[in-house]
Amino acid sequence: MANTGRISYAQLLETNNLLQTVTDETYWLCVTRTVQESKLFPVPPYMLLSYLNAFYRYPSLLRKIESRMSAEEVGDRVRTMGIKCQNPAVGWALPGFYLLGREWLINMGLLRPVDAVEDCIYVMDFWKRFQLSWHRNDGHITNREYGHRSQILPERRLQVFETDLYRCEAGDGLHIAASQFLASASQYGFLISCESRISLSNSGPYKLGDNSEMIVRDFMDLAEGDLPWLDGVAAEVPYNNLTVPMMVKDCHFYLVDDWGSFESEPEFRAENIAGVGLYTSDPLTEGYLPVGMASRDELIETFNEFNEVCKDATTKLWKRIAGWTRDQMIDAGALTYFAICKDLAHVAGVYEHEDWMLIDERAERFRPLLNDEFSRDCLGELVGLLTHPSQRCNEYTMMQHGDGPTRMYTPIPYSILDGDGYTPSSGPVYPGASNLPPKEDRYRTSQGILTLAEYNRQVREFQPMAQKYRHLDETWVKFNYDTPLADEMYKLEQARSRKLEGRGAGLTRADLEQFAD
Amino acid sequence: MAKLYVDTDKYGDQAASPIVEAFHSAIKDIVRRRLDESGVDWNSFVFDKSYDRITAEDMRAVEQKLLDAGHRYDFSAVISVHERPAAYKPAEGISGEDEDWTMEHPEAPSGEPDGQGRALCGVGDNVVPHAENTVGVARYVRSSEQVMIYLDNGVPDQTIAIIDDSGGTLTAPILERFDGVICMGGTVRSHLGILAREYGIPCFMNAKITGIKEGQRVEIETTAAAKTAEAYQKGREMTGSIWKYA
Repeated sequence: MANTGRISYAQLLETNNLLQTVTDETYWLCVTRTVQESKLFPVPPYMLLSYLNAFYRYPSLLRKIESRMSAEEVGDRVRTMGIKCQNPAVGWALPGFYLLGREWLINMGLLRPVDAVEDCIYVMDFWKRFQLSWHRNDGHITNREYGHRSQILPERRLQVFETDLYRCEAGDGLHIAASQFLASASQYGFLISCESRISLSNSGPYKLGDNSEMIVRDFMDLAEGDLPWLDGVAAEVPYNNLTVPMMVKDCHFYLVDDWGSFESEPEFRAENIAGVGLYTSDPLTEGYLPVGMASRDELIETFNEFNEVCKDATTKLWKRIAGWTRDQMIDAGALTYFAICKDLAHVAGVYEHEDWMLIDERAERFRPLLNDEFSRDCLGELVGLLTHPSQRCNEYTMMQHGDGPTRMYTPIPYSILDGDGYTPSSGPVYPGASNLPPKEDRYRTSQGILTLAEYNRQVREFQPMAQKYRHLDETWVKFNYDTPLADEMYKLEQARSRKLEGRGAGLTRADLEQFAD
Repeated sequence: MAKLYVDTDKYGDQAASPIVEAFHSAIKDIVRRRLDESGVDWNSFVFDKSYDRITAEDMRAVEQKLLDAGHRYDFSAVISVHERPAAYKPAEGISGEDEDWTMEHPEAPSGEPDGQGRALCGVGDNVVPHAENTVGVARYVRSSEQVMIYLDNGVPDQTIAIIDDSGGTLTAPILERFDGVICMGGTVRSHLGILAREYGIPCFMNAKITGIKEGQRVEIETTAAAKTAEAYQKGREMTGSIWKYA
């Protein structure tokens, strides 16, 4: 197809800029963070398969989401939720997986950089609008752009998190219980996500005082829900998503990256935790709901209970996985990766199992290639070495971080504006399949265990009260905090706070001291 | 034969890895052939005709061709070897049946026994400094079968697990029961390192060891400083020692 005027120069410029932004960060993350490996899961094979699934399906599935709700509205909705719309899921993986699939196909000769152009522009535009909305309070598009920082939450939520924290110190009952829960939930998260860390994410830091910062850690997809392999084994897990705000002392988080992991100076240790809270959220909650927060003893008991629940579910799930075939392991891993941003569809009320939990037949064709050695080398070249032919640039090039004449993702050539033929889209979602047992129609939500149809119905009908204040941002608060409208907005956020209920919009951090335990 | 868009490339030639180049070249040959056979132009081929004409059978043939040439694949996941033993290089020491088998790293330091009867047999990156060194009994944990045995029968006391997998899933249900971990891969930020830190289990990552037999008494210098992010970024060695007792 010749360009019929549907694509403008400005669109292409922006798309290629966004693509380069993701290129630079992905390279940095892949070479400076950690290598993900496993003797249990064939990790590189499932990653490669997930990228193809993303390339073929994301454009259609994102359009389906926007048929109900715009990307920027989803961003506004999920800003105060600990679900899989966080930095790892949307901030990095959504464009990253799509573009990695595109790049691999280019190197197999199955795609030109001028193929699926409208898909590519759309995916990057969706990503941009979501990111700008979700990151609205810090004013950046990614953590990277903010110097690896992630300050998503508004003051009214941070005040509740801070004031409702229960203080603790190494060796006391709460510290022990919280630390044990964090360890067992992290371990359970790695297993749920087939060795990846995408069930966990950290955001922040937020300043709490001269020597104190807050990190917010989310554990996601813990219960029976979208992931078929949790049916039965996670029946006792009472919440699908849990969020732990942590007050940390004597430790500065100088880096929180777009994978949701952090670096600190000095090195963060459990002993640095000086206060914790516990919350849940999902597309049917009005923001965060406190869990076990009525008293210190109740919180200790809750952490201890969840610690045991996580350990039990870990053992059951591990035994299930140990009996899987290699194809089942690859499917579970590929679907975990591919569906990392599936909660966007939940928020819009358009989540379908067939959309997000099957391998598209177009991607499935490539499974026979995915032995361990080819997958390791192909992936290593794709994200670390940047030695696939498509990734080589002219010899004057010094790529960011690497200085070599390379680039992870191939831009869209501007020549299509002068009539060079291009193709717009890879097409609709094709049929898919999975080697895993069928998903049971059971979804743990904040409204109990629902069928998927009922879950979608309730989400579509749910109108969060906070939507009324959607455009009352932090700048508006600065100049209007003394209005009834600001008070109303703050009181909604404070409604379930044990310390701040009904306090309104006038509090500053100094005022919060009087409410501390 | 049809010419592909990527056949003209001023800066890129071929993939660095021989196996990647072999597979991708073979696939590009298939694409050229099928494009010719289809009788349509690329725009009609790429997202329509190609879906039926480039198949899993083609990919299977590409992979088989390398095996027929005598190549055997490296494995990363044990299940890959278990399901296709003829396609992969053998996985030595996985079964645990050979009691004399030892994990050998070519760069592992070694030494004669010191005054305490311990001989240097390795180094590793300490995850978190502890007040004392960690002494225990070395036990290799390299397969899900071994994990299942420990899950059923319990992890023996004082176990220092030697693991060549820096992931957090292989040993997930029993990790908490180890007294120490020596991991042959990863960094202190790998999943296994993260979990060891959270559980408070003494742990060396990126270890290089030699001559440690199943059941042998070992000591890890867990009083050593933790390896820092800066040390990794600058490629600076910052290790603690591993000793074995006769």
